[in-house]
Amino acid sequence: MEDFDQVVTFHTHYGALRFRKRHGSICTLKPVPRSLSSSCGTAAFIRGAVDMSMVDEYVEGIYEKEGDGWRRVM
Amino acid sequence: MSERIRVAAAGAVIGLAAVLLVGFGNPQNMGFCIACFIRDQAGALRLHTAPIVQYFRPEIVGIVLGSFAISVIHGDFRPRSGSSPVLRFLIGFAVMVGALVFLGCPLRMVLRLAGGDLNALVALLGFIAGIGIGCVFLSRGFSLGRAGQASGVEGTAFPASMTFLFVLFLAVPALFAFSSSGPGSMHAPVAISLAAGLAVGIAAERTRLCMAGGIRDIILIRDFTLLGGFAAIFIAALIGNLATGRFSLGFADQPVSHSMHLWNFLGMLAVGLGSVMLGGCPLRQLILAGEGSSDSACAVLGMAAGAAFAHNFSLAASAGTGPGTNGKVAVVIAIIMLLAIAAARTARRES
Repeated sequence: MEDFDQVVTFHTHYGALRFRKRHGSICTLKPVPRSLSSSCGTAAFIRGAVDMSMVDEYVEGIYEKEGDGWRRVM
Repeated sequence: MSERIRVAAAGAVIGLAAVLLVGFGNPQNMGFCIACFIRDQAGALRLHTAPIVQYFRPEIVGIVLGSFAISVIHGDFRPRSGSSPVLRFLIGFAVMVGALVFLGCPLRMVLRLAGGDLNALVALLGFIAGIGIGCVFLSRGFSLGRAGQASGVEGTAFPASMTFLFVLFLAVPALFAFSSSGPGSMHAPVAISLAAGLAVGIAAERTRLCMAGGIRDIILIRDFTLLGGFAAIFIAALIGNLATGRFSLGFADQPVSHSMHLWNFLGMLAVGLGSVMLGGCPLRQLILAGEGSSDSACAVLGMAAGAAFAHNFSLAASAGTGPGTNGKVAVVIAIIMLLAIAAARTARRES
């Protein structure tokens, strides 16, 4: 769980599954971290940084860990 | 503490609370049942007149207010609305019809399993099948649409209404119907029921515990985090039932149940499919309604309406004998309606 650099959240589960289909080599899908949201959606944990070309209409936000919290980068 | 341990701890709290509530007077294997308790509340409010299932269950009030309070404290209270409220009402309605044909929500299904009721095992297969069907739609783009920000008044309307009715229940009980026999007459003292509901509401809000979400996550993303709560409820309740001599393994003569396997399976298939479409099981809908989601409040109102219809039109199963013709037809219609809504809301997109 700690071997990630960024977390991508999505508006729908479909958005997350679609992201994995396209960028599966650099991401793992897991539930959105509770410390990030009280929703029970699916998030993509990314190694490296998200390229803006990877962002589509299903992406809700991109976050990086900052101390005990999160910093929104998009 | 890792998320998996937190979810499992919340599950253990719920499982133990359920066993304690039975010890204090709730019906056997029904320490908690969201569907049954909403149905009992609908009866207490005279939305239906089935005399054995009328009681304004404080557990439901506690769950909603526990979620509301803890979400306000932690900044998770976010009033939002606009994600297909009428469809959510109808899906909630269908979920309740399925639950009352089986005689329990997913939470009671686990509690029945922990009491040795093997009819719940058949229902679990149906629940998994329904979630599997829902996952097919999710993976093809199913969505009820995005919710938008709503006003604070909108977000607090549901918890406030629950509070008002509960105060009325305490202050002027003569306004409400009370069962004098049957499951509705069996209940823990009000303060204990409310306290248990608050504890469950807080635990479930902090961990996002959901009976459907755990199985959905295994199917969709092979993640077992949320399933830990499901398993912990079972283990805690099983230990509690064994310790208090309330475990009885078998299909026959189980408390508030029947052994019509096809209808147990199909009833919970409807519940599983509907829960995936709503984004969570009936317990999760109460939690989200407490967090300010008007859409989930609509689903809960749909469940209450479904419960009233289920008893006014003889759709609910009878303990021992199972559902009659009306109930069987209603479950089939509910499943067809859920599939139609799912298909209509699944956008086929290139991937």
